[in-house]
Amino acid sequence: MSVFMDLNLTFTEDKSVLQRMIETAAQLGFSTVAINYMFEPKAKKKPQIPAPTPITELMDQLPVVQGRSRPIRVLNRLTLVMSDSFHFRSTAPEYRCFDLLAVQPTTEKLFHAACMVYDIDIICVSVTERLPFFFKRAPVNGAIDRGVVFEVSYSAAIRDSTMRRYTIANAISLIECCKGKSVMVSSAAEKALELRGPYDVTNLSLLFGLSDKDCKEAVSSTCRSVLLHGETRKTASGIIYTVKSCSEASDQQEAPPQSETCEAPPSKKQKSSVTE
Amino acid sequence: MVRVKSRYLLCEITVSDRSQLLQLDDRAVATAVRAAVARTHGDYGAAQCVIGFSVKYLNAHTGIVFLRFPKRCYRLLWSALPFITCIETRGHKIPCVLNCLHVGGTIRTCQKFLIKYNTQQLHQMLPKCKNDEEKQQVRKAILTCSLPGSNRKESEEDFESEEDEEE
Repeated sequence: MSVFMDLNLTFTEDKSVLQRMIETAAQLGFSTVAINYMFEPKAKKKPQIPAPTPITELMDQLPVVQGRSRPIRVLNRLTLVMSDSFHFRSTAPEYRCFDLLAVQPTTEKLFHAACMVYDIDIICVSVTERLPFFFKRAPVNGAIDRGVVFEVSYSAAIRDSTMRRYTIANAISLIECCKGKSVMVSSAAEKALELRGPYDVTNLSLLFGLSDKDCKEAVSSTCRSVLLHGETRKTASGIIYTVKSCSEASDQQEAPPQSETCEAPPSKKQKSSVTE
Repeated sequence: MVRVKSRYLLCEITVSDRSQLLQLDDRAVATAVRAAVARTHGDYGAAQCVIGFSVKYLNAHTGIVFLRFPKRCYRLLWSALPFITCIETRGHKIPCVLNCLHVGGTIRTCQKFLIKYNTQQLHQMLPKCKNDEEKQQVRKAILTCSLPGSNRKESEEDFESEEDEEE
């Protein structure tokens, strides 16, 4: 049995809604979820990236995953909706607070840059409107080689019939281009009732034109490689990373040394960690 | 002899308010599924749904439902299930989610899975009991509610009584 993940739960100010969502996800059998902070930089104004709420503040005790004995893992993720190239600053310190970094490009030029240049983990495909550009083979292949993953979210399709058409149409055009490789399907749910079980999602992605194998990978192993990619982004080529050793007494059981060497995660899609 | 092959989907209906579950009935679920299939797959899907589709069993207390689909097109019909957002019964709409737990070739395998699943649920819930007395109460409830001869009923009854206890 593989591990299912849903790397997109939309952040809301209401804590009880978020808690309910995380509980539902655990009950459905997702073992990792990510809370998504959408951020759309406005022109002229100085962009203010939201700071993530710490998970411990959000919930006292994380619920146990269905069919497992471990509690659910919750991550933070930032999604930038880009309409201009200066919106992405590659060295912004704010990005470091997030475990995952995603962009949603709105023009072809930005899409190309996101695929080939930007140091990100996920490229979101817009599902609420007609695709503003066509996917080209070259950048898509480049993204696959770098280990960047494309994301299709399904909750807009559940809400509305027109959105469903856009979702399916955009997903099909993406999947035709990348032949089903490195696509992940996530929920982007705003309420607990918009989440669907992992097997339902797997079957749903058949509608997007994925094959049986790719369907399953879309909710499990692709997500795992995204997580590993997110980890390597923080580190130097995925070989060395530094941890601030806290001077309190609590460091006895954790006790990470100042700089700890860890092996590069053995993932199939982690070619990127070497090339960076 | 060759028999008609079908697939049985064991689904769990999740609602935000548990008391609403009791209002559900077989026909309401069947209508909701048919409507969802017609919405996503149009006339073609609706036509596939006419033969061989039925709601075999619904437990309104636990929200467990067995759906029967013809084997030839069950994946197509299944892909419409996530689009169900509410079930309409007796004039009101109940917002709910169908979560598929198991796909089986016979009702028997689904039943076996369900018993296993419910036991698992019980084990997960028992530690949540606040004191020993409550635990004993649950145990007693399980022992007394067994129906002779029907294994499946029994295990579901367990689940149910546990649910009551939690509330």
